[in-house]
Amino acid sequence: MSRIKAKRIGFRIDMTPMVDVAFLLLTFFMLTTKFRPPEVVKITLPSSHSVQKLPESNVLTVTVSAQNKFFMGVSSQQSREKIFNAVVKSKLKNAGLPAAAIADSLKNFKLAESFRVEGDELDKYVVMARFADPKLRPVIKADADAGFEAVNHVIKVYKKANLLTFNLITVLKREVR
Amino acid sequence: MGIVDSPNGRRGIKKGRRRSKRIGFHLDMTPMVDVAFLLLTFFMLTTTFSKSNTMEINIPPEMLEVKVAENNVMTMRIAGDGIAYCSLGNEVPKKIPLYDANDTRQLSLSGELRRLLKQLTADNKKMVIVVKLSEKAKYKQLVDIIDELNLMKIDRFSLDDFTEQDAMEVKRAG
Repeated sequence: MSRIKAKRIGFRIDMTPMVDVAFLLLTFFMLTTKFRPPEVVKITLPSSHSVQKLPESNVLTVTVSAQNKFFMGVSSQQSREKIFNAVVKSKLKNAGLPAAAIADSLKNFKLAESFRVEGDELDKYVVMARFADPKLRPVIKADADAGFEAVNHVIKVYKKANLLTFNLITVLKREVR
Repeated sequence: MGIVDSPNGRRGIKKGRRRSKRIGFHLDMTPMVDVAFLLLTFFMLTTTFSKSNTMEINIPPEMLEVKVAENNVMTMRIAGDGIAYCSLGNEVPKKIPLYDANDTRQLSLSGELRRLLKQLTADNKKMVIVVKLSEKAKYKQLVDIIDELNLMKIDRFSLDDFTEQDAMEVKRAG
């Protein structure tokens, strides 16, 4: 064998800086990652040029699916509990459920991102949510194929609950003019 | 690979014997580094810094009524057939397609409609655009119209209910 090869066999490299950087990145990504909760229904958002971002907390989302079904979600768990106690609890009691079952469904309700709401009950829930948290920021997340009738219903509900400023969720459109 | 020299790697020059044994120690960090990089790639690939974009909309309270002169109002009626019926004041509505016919992805409003909106607002600074969508219209059309108005920096517009009378107006246009 040649001399040069024999010299190369035992070579070492100081990997400390690389490992440092790798761990730094690793901790960053681990701490910033928030896994997206599973969606109840798939929504294809309409596109727009708006670059305004969605607020992070105190969001009241009314989702309108492509089949014009309504789903409602509140971001804070305290508000969810208040809504449950005000609206859902009495309904379950009337249905004759035992207290343990009600407590169990409250637990599920607090963890769920959103729940199905009938169109004519939406105003009750929205008013209750606003009552639970007056600083709530209303948001409409509707599918691009949703009918205007359904969206208009949500807008009217917001109007009735005196929520006059709200946001429509869209995705940024990639298109050059 | 993966074997790291301790920072003070001068072997066996120091005084005490006990110490000199510890100075040159090696630790095989390969498995740790492997796992770290595996996790790193996983988190880098799964992370999307996704925050949805939104558009903000203000609606007037129910009791409030704003009076605007009739010739300062442009009414845009969307009947659900992909055509915007635009009328100034009380005149017979003009039929303008909402999207260009060759624009299959329908990302923006038709050039004709854009030109009309631009021209109207440039001619008359007091122009108010009233958008009326019928129940057969799609939500996407609403978003596209609002987006277009926002892009043109037209903030004098409002949404209104589509009434029977509006349906008559649409019929009047033929």
